[in-house]
Amino acid sequence: MIENVSQPVSTATESLNAARNIIPNQEYLLQGSVMDSAVEVLLHRLRGLCDNVDSGPEPFYDHEMCFSIRGAGSMQPLLLRVRRALDYQDMPWQLRYIGQPEIGDKSRPTIVRNSIDIGTSATVVEFLTELGCRMDFEYIVRGYMFRKGRMKITVSKIFKSGQGKPLDNMEALSQSYLVELSVLAPSGQDAIAEDMRSFAEQLRPLVQLEKVDCKRLQHVP
Amino acid sequence: MGVTVLQQFPMVENRTGPQTIEFLTKRVVALGAVQTGQFLVDCETYMSVPNLGPQRTVHVVHNSEAPASVFAVLESGQRSVPLVADGLFDLLMQKMATIYSKKQPKIEAKGPRFEIADFCVKLGSVTMGQNFKGVLVEVEYRPCLVASSCWELVREFLQGFLGSVVPATPPPYLQNRMNELYQPIDTVNQYLEQFAQYRKATGVR
Repeated sequence: MIENVSQPVSTATESLNAARNIIPNQEYLLQGSVMDSAVEVLLHRLRGLCDNVDSGPEPFYDHEMCFSIRGAGSMQPLLLRVRRALDYQDMPWQLRYIGQPEIGDKSRPTIVRNSIDIGTSATVVEFLTELGCRMDFEYIVRGYMFRKGRMKITVSKIFKSGQGKPLDNMEALSQSYLVELSVLAPSGQDAIAEDMRSFAEQLRPLVQLEKVDCKRLQHVP
Repeated sequence: MGVTVLQQFPMVENRTGPQTIEFLTKRVVALGAVQTGQFLVDCETYMSVPNLGPQRTVHVVHNSEAPASVFAVLESGQRSVPLVADGLFDLLMQKMATIYSKKQPKIEAKGPRFEIADFCVKLGSVTMGQNFKGVLVEVEYRPCLVASSCWELVREFLQGFLGSVVPATPPPYLQNRMNELYQPIDTVNQYLEQFAQYRKATGVR
């Protein structure tokens, strides 16, 4: 290939616009939970159903901080999450924007929400704080990740964040595990939601994965 | 990636921007440099809305030398917080349009990129909005990551084709970091330092 030295470099904005249709910015999501006593059975089942049969499930151990920032007046706050791997401290941190979830009617198999996942340097917490974001809450999450095609399945336990306590002495938030089935895809790929519905069917009755409306949970008195 | 020094090349009367780039191109080519394409460093500046409290500024910089990264530098009072992120950070800034908005024209440096032995040379014409503002010369000495170990060498190399305009001391931003490991964000901060000078200047400089 002869390199054309006089060809101008395309700007980052041009490249981003060219890729707009392939940027995975929609998250399809189903959630559920199992009691601690039942988790081994579920893990066993997932081990059999999922792709990573040989390597086994991938353990993860993350710290997540949830931030919000408010614009003018009555605007909905913008929600941002920062995640870092406690077991791989040299890995990039992850900054994530999550939009308002669309629950949809019964015909829609999963929750769909806007999502932008960004790998960042470790300065991200200081950056967000100075930007004007407020940290609303934080927690430690530890569990396993499975893959099935494009689907991601996590089975994890949530702990209260350290506050100086030794990490092996953490206080669990509940006596159950959170189970999430999700796919990150470009807009307009609704067919994947059907695949998720049928996969969720295969996990019944061990776990019931559903469209959980977080807003409704918040409004319970 | 190596230590990079950014240097302004003052404009003289009766020589236009393209003529200045042409003039410098001849000089580096005479040294044996080979052109290896074009480069682009651009900077968008966002300001916080008044109800967020004290004014904060976010500079979002792209550098064609690190095409998968977005560099953001947040200025809040006397503090400056850098963030290196991947390309989707630009989408996040769009989401924040109601909280941080573009108030200033985009400023960029672009032009030819050359390689000569261990050095990489870039001749950038700086434009703000549509207006030409001046010329920046970037020299990277690729085998070395500590500025104090190679500043003298880089200065001598710069003087070889820029002449007496090269100062005896490193750029202010580098002076405080002479013994640290050089990182791509350091190049970005040097550009921001220079861009700030161009913003202040009324004409070309």
